[in-house]
Amino acid sequence: MKYDVIVIGAGPAGTTFARITAEKGMNVLVLDKRKELGEPVRCAEGLGRREVDIQGLILPKEVISTDIKGSRIVSPSGHELIWEDEEATGWVLERKMFDRWLAELAVEKGARIRTYTRVLDLIKENGKIKGVIASHQGEESYEIEADLVVSAEGMESIIARKAGFKTFSALSEVDTCYQYEMQPYNHRNLIELYLGNEIAKRGYVWVFPKGKNKANVGIGIGGHLTNAVKGGSLKGADPKILLDKFIKQSPELKDSSTLQDFGGVISVGAPIDEFVADNFMVIGTAARQVDPIHGGGIARSMEAARIAAGVAAEAKKKNDYSKKTLSEYEKIWRKGPGKILEKRLLFRKVLEKFSDADLDYIIKNITQEDLKDVMAGNFFRPVMKLLKGNPGLLKVLGALIS
Amino acid sequence: MIKINHEKCVLCIGCASVCPFGAIELQGTRMKVNPEKCKNCGMCIRVCPADAISYAEEEKTKKEKAEAKE
Ligand SMILES: Cc1cc2nc3c(=O)[nH]c(=O)nc-3n(C[C@H](O)[C@H](O)[C@H](O)COP(=O)(O)OP(=O)(O)OC[C@H]3O[C@@H](n4cnc5c(N)ncnc54)[C@H](O)[C@@H]3O)c2cc1C
Ligand code: SF4
Ligand code: SF4
Repeated sequence: MKYDVIVIGAGPAGTTFARITAEKGMNVLVLDKRKELGEPVRCAEGLGRREVDIQGLILPKEVISTDIKGSRIVSPSGHELIWEDEEATGWVLERKMFDRWLAELAVEKGARIRTYTRVLDLIKENGKIKGVIASHQGEESYEIEADLVVSAEGMESIIARKAGFKTFSALSEVDTCYQYEMQPYNHRNLIELYLGNEIAKRGYVWVFPKGKNKANVGIGIGGHLTNAVKGGSLKGADPKILLDKFIKQSPELKDSSTLQDFGGVISVGAPIDEFVADNFMVIGTAARQVDPIHGGGIARSMEAARIAAGVAAEAKKKNDYSKKTLSEYEKIWRKGPGKILEKRLLFRKVLEKFSDADLDYIIKNITQEDLKDVMAGNFFRPVMKLLKGNPGLLKVLGALIS
Repeated sequence: MIKINHEKCVLCIGCASVCPFGAIELQGTRMKVNPEKCKNCGMCIRVCPADAISYAEEEKTKKEKAEAKE
């Protein structure tokens, strides 16, 4: 049997794409190598409400761990900035349940999903992609044909590479992360971020509340800053060592238990150079459509999937899956979300140059309104305000207003 | 070749995400290294948050040294 589209990966990108294209009448098959969708979790599970609202989704109770009222940013010497308004609200999810729920929605709309099925390669005829070669449970491989193949493979994105996309990340463009789920932690329904060069080089420590009195406590640091010595043993800038140190020094966490260990690597760099080829699209974290400041990728993956699904449905109508037709997705993405992520990347690069003293000064002196402007990419006003009080910051902040 | 300590590995797929040669992949519940593709560049070792990867040769020398001591 031939499908209109085969999606590789049943994460938020893949299942969102499948839901929307199935709803528009396409014949969709989603393949995921995981035995159980959503497992293992490699995520801090935070999600803002914007994209969920745009897609008209209503999260059921079981996918929500905690409602979030805003965020709290803490400077190296303990100054805090709290952002608490409608825009900063969202959830900390039960990510495993969330991925399952998105998959079920796709199935309800008519998509077909197969778990424990790994895509090994692409079927190519005279260079044209005609489908995939897959294997269920590691057994003998078989071919499945489709007009369109979509890579929603997440960070690994090995099949997209086989289609010619540069989907591996440089060390400096990823954060390497370690995380514990901890209990007890008496939270205030705020997402908390701790900044500082001692705390987390080129990154931060996060404390994301879960349930009534738990939290995901994690750290991400620049992949190029880990201090690997030959033989693999990490010293100094090992994310786990830094995280353990942070926890030991935290009065609220030092005596808490850990319920789970997680690791992860997330892109904090630019998206890949191209998202489409003839009969092929790359969406979500496979395309590195991730927020470069905080590494959030769920909403961005769902957003890219929504845009790509609209374009794929048009391609079906025209029965034309050429790169030219599919590139409409890339155009829309680069004009919209791409522009915002570009500014965020610029900001990330400035952020990593701040000394601890700079961070202290800035967090002490900016307001919620300033922070909102910065996150929206409107740097001018907040930067001028900071420079007025501390002209020395021009060295680092200059890049944002030039 | 590099060697993965599966006891320490937390299946974060970080190594696979940065390997320039596509030599590592999550298969089932294990990270698998393809010896034909691995060029010993060490990127995966640097990114691993669980300190689970090392050069296989070093493991061997460590073992040999330990044996020599006995
Ligand atoms: C430590 C950490 C914390 C994070 N915290 C947050 C957070 O708080 N909020 C947030 O928004 N984002 C967070 N992220 C990022 C977020 O998890 C990802 O961006 C998001 O999961 C991307 O969704 P996706 O659908 O593109 O890919 P994924 O969710 O990674 O899904 C990809 C799927 O493809 C499958 N797959 C891959 N290759 C194949 C193959 N060859 N054959 C078959 N199936 C295949 C995989 O099994 C997987 O199920 C975090 C990431 C890390 C590492
Ligand atoms: S050493 Fe280099 S080539 Fe070998 S698996 Fe690691 S990253 Fe890939
Ligand atoms: S980077 Fe380390 S912990 Fe992560 S999957 Fe690879 S070996 Fe396992």
